[in-house]
Amino acid sequence: MVSEFVFATAQYESGDWDSAPLVPANLIDSVARYTGLPVAPAGAIVALSSDDLFRFPFVFLTGHLPVRFTEAERANVRRFADRGGMLFVDDHNHDIDGAFHKTAVEEIARAVGPLVQLPNTHPIYSTFFRFPDGPPNTSHELNGWGDNLVHSHLLAAMRGDRIAVLYSNKDYSSEWGYHPDNKRFLSIDNTKFGVNVIVYALTR
Amino acid sequence: MRSRVDGARRLAELVLRATALAALAALLWRAMRPPSAAGADVARGDLGTALARWTAAPPTEMRAVFDATPDPLTRDWLRALAAAGSPVRWSASRPLGAAAVIAEPSAEPYGATRVRLAAGRGEPVTIGDGAGVIDTLPNGGGMELELAAVSGGVRAAGATFAATTIARDSALLRPVLVIGAAGWEAKFTIAALEERGWRVAARLRVAPGVEVTQGPLGAIDTARYSAVVALDSTAAPLAGAIARFVRDGGGAVLAGSAARLGAVAPIAPGGVGRRVPGVAGAVASATPRAGLPAFVITPLASDAVALESREGAAVVAARRVAAGRALQSGYDDTWRWRMAGGDGAVVAHREWWSQLVAGVAYAPLLARSSTAHAVVDEAPRAALVAALGPPSAFDARLAPRRDAARTTRILFTLVVASLLLEWSSRRFRGAR
Repeated sequence: MVSEFVFATAQYESGDWDSAPLVPANLIDSVARYTGLPVAPAGAIVALSSDDLFRFPFVFLTGHLPVRFTEAERANVRRFADRGGMLFVDDHNHDIDGAFHKTAVEEIARAVGPLVQLPNTHPIYSTFFRFPDGPPNTSHELNGWGDNLVHSHLLAAMRGDRIAVLYSNKDYSSEWGYHPDNKRFLSIDNTKFGVNVIVYALTR
Repeated sequence: MRSRVDGARRLAELVLRATALAALAALLWRAMRPPSAAGADVARGDLGTALARWTAAPPTEMRAVFDATPDPLTRDWLRALAAAGSPVRWSASRPLGAAAVIAEPSAEPYGATRVRLAAGRGEPVTIGDGAGVIDTLPNGGGMELELAAVSGGVRAAGATFAATTIARDSALLRPVLVIGAAGWEAKFTIAALEERGWRVAARLRVAPGVEVTQGPLGAIDTARYSAVVALDSTAAPLAGAIARFVRDGGGAVLAGSAARLGAVAPIAPGGVGRRVPGVAGAVASATPRAGLPAFVITPLASDAVALESREGAAVVAARRVAAGRALQSGYDDTWRWRMAGGDGAVVAHREWWSQLVAGVAYAPLLARSSTAHAVVDEAPRAALVAALGPPSAFDARLAPRRDAARTTRILFTLVVASLLLEWSSRRFRGAR
C-alpha cells in the first residue's frame, strides 16, 4: 500500500494565497493521466503555520501580493525544508522585480536559505518528461503572445543536493490555471512540467 | 694428645665427607632413577625453561600445569611439540576462566566498532583497549559495546585469562538497492539511508514500464549490492532475484506488504496480516512508531525472531535464510515519523532505517594483516583445548617443585664444596 499523493496548497496570512484555485485540480489530473501514482482526487489546503503542514511533503505556494511570513510560518517552513519537504513557489505576477517576487525571495532566504539559479540540466527537467532547454516557457513570456520577458531559469534553495524550495517567476499559476477538461484544446499539454515537479518531489 | 679443637675439626671433616658422599649418592640416584611419574616431565607456571628443555631433549611425556591460560606462543609451542611425537597433557592449578572477545565494525557506513564479550560467571573481567580500561564486569557474563573508536587492540582480562583481539578496520559495504513505487515512503527511505552514508541505488516505479532510477543498476547479486529494500508490490518482477540474492548471502528488508510477493514469501520471516492503525498523536511522542500504521507479521516463521511487536503480534521480525538474512517490517508509512515526529525525528528515522539495513546487509569483513594474527587470541581457553585437548586429571603434586637441572647443579656444587673444604682442612692441619 503506497500513500496517495495529495496536492497541497499553502495558505499564508499575508497576500492572496488562493489566487490560482484551478491549478491543483489541473495538476492532479495530469499526474493521474500520465503516471501510475496513486493520487488523491482532491487537493488540500494547509496553513503554513499549522502542524498539518508536515502531512504534506509537497506544498504549492502562489500569489500576487507581497508575502510576509509570520514567525510561526517561517519556523514551520524552515522545519519543513529541514525534514525533507519541498515547497514549490510560483510568482503569479510573472515579474522581474514585483512585490511578490521581492518579498517571497526575502522570506524564503530567511526561512530556508538563499535562492540560487537551478541549472537547466537539473534532473527535475528529465525525471519523467524531458525538457532539454530547462523550464518550459509560458504563454505570458513568449513574444507575440506575451511580453517577451523570458525567465530562462528557475531558482532553488537547496538542502544538500535536494531542492527544498523551487521558485518560479514564470507564472505557471496562470499557465496551468484552467479546468482540466480544456486540455483537449491544447496541442501540447502545458502541465507536463508540473508532473515533473511532482515526480521529482516524490523521488528525490 | 689431640686437643679438643683438633677433635672438633676432625668431626667437621667427617661431616663434610659424609655430605659429599650423600650428595654424590643423590646425584647417582637421580641419574639412574626412572623419569618422574612414569616417564613424564612435569612443569608448572612459566614454561619457558621447560619448553626449551623439552625441545632439546623431548621426554616420554610432557605435562604442563598452568596457573592461567597460556599465551599463544606457549600454546603453539606445546602444540608443535605434540605434533612432533611427544604426548603433551595439561591441567590447571586452579579453575581457568573461559572468555571470548571480538571487535568488529558494524555493517553501517561510518559505523562504530562493536565489541562483544562472553565470559564465565563468577570471575571479574576488565575490558579495555590501548587507551585504557573501558568497562568492568564484576561477575563476568556477557556484554556488547558500541565504540566510536578503538585504540589498538581490545583486551578482556580476568585473574586466569587474557583474551585479546584487534578490530578490523572496516567491512566491505556495497550499495543498497531500494525498490518501490515513487512516493513519500520511497523518497524518505532513500534520504534516510543516504544521509547515514549508504550508497543507494533505486528503482522507483512512476508508471507502468517507467521508472525513476538512481545509482548503479544491474543484476541483484552480492557482488553489486549489500542489501535490497523492497517497499511494496512493485518489487514483484524482481522477487525471484531478491530471494536468490538472500539465499546467496545478501540481505533483504521487506517492508509493508512486500513480503506477500510470491517468490519472496518463502524467505520472509512471516506472513502479512492485518494493518493495525497507529495511535493518534503518538508520532510526535517518545514512542513514535506507535503512531504509524503497520501490518502485523503473522504467522511468524518458526525460525524467525520478533524484533518489535504491537498488540501481541510482531511488526518487525528477522530470520536467517541459507547464507543470507531477511527482515520484515510491517511499517509502510515511516515517512510520517520523519516529517511529523518530535525534534529528533529525522535522526531517529535515519538511524532506524540504517540499522534495519545493517542488520541484514552482506558485509564481508576485510582480512586482518598477517602481523595482527600474532596478537589475536580471542578465546584463549577454547584455543588451548583445541590445541592440546581437554585437561588431564594427572596428579600435579608429583611435579618437582624446582627445576631438575637446577637441583643437579646444587647437588654438584655441594659435592665439590664439601670435598674442597674437607681436603683443605686436612692439609692445613698437616695430614695427607
